[in-house]
Amino acid sequence: MKHIDDPVRLQKEILKKTCYLAVIPVLYSLVSGEWATLLGLLFGLLIGTLIFRLRLINIERSLQMSEGKATSFIRNRYFIEYAIYLAVLLVARKNPAVNFLATAIGLFFIKFTVIGWVIIDLIRDAFNQKLESFKR
Amino acid sequence: MVQFSPEVIDTIIKAAALLGAGFAMIAGIGPGVGQGYAAGKAVEAVARDPEARGNVITTMLLGQAVAESTGIYSLVIAIVLIFTI
Repeated sequence: MKHIDDPVRLQKEILKKTCYLAVIPVLYSLVSGEWATLLGLLFGLLIGTLIFRLRLINIERSLQMSEGKATSFIRNRYFIEYAIYLAVLLVARKNPAVNFLATAIGLFFIKFTVIGWVIIDLIRDAFNQKLESFKR
Repeated sequence: MVQFSPEVIDTIIKAAALLGAGFAMIAGIGPGVGQGYAAGKAVEAVARDPEARGNVITTMLLGQAVAESTGIYSLVIAIVLIFTI
């Protein structure tokens, strides 16, 4: 993670990587003509992205508070986000035009990106260390 | 051996599914408490070293994004249990 000191740049980088990663399932659902899956993926991705952006705003706000206030503020915001997730998944479950599992996967896409990025970084670091030790 | 009618078995299955959904929703509380605690500690860290603010925010952002996934897993499982059976 190159831009670890700059949260806004890191967030943009994560969102960019998520978009690149999401192209594969979106194109697949487009080609196979599964519109419910496509809608579900897009719906989940949209909500996931917006909540990810909201989280950075909340964190920056919380850092201007006292410790106790920040704790309760972030906890309350989490439950609000949880209610949004619940509403999104309920809408996806009730509406036959939107695939429920595709919506859930769309919501998880940012998490997959973050975990995948960290794993790739770890593998790259380990590989570079091995390479350095072989050079010596 | 006790024999149950199909209606009773159906009711037991529905009740068990709803109970399971309720238990699954307990997993949604943990990330909230954890995130709140992390936010409190982040405030403490920034107060101690204001130059590390960017680093603290990014670490917290990534940590919160990943920590939340267990809560969403529980939500998905609860909704599947409630609506599928």
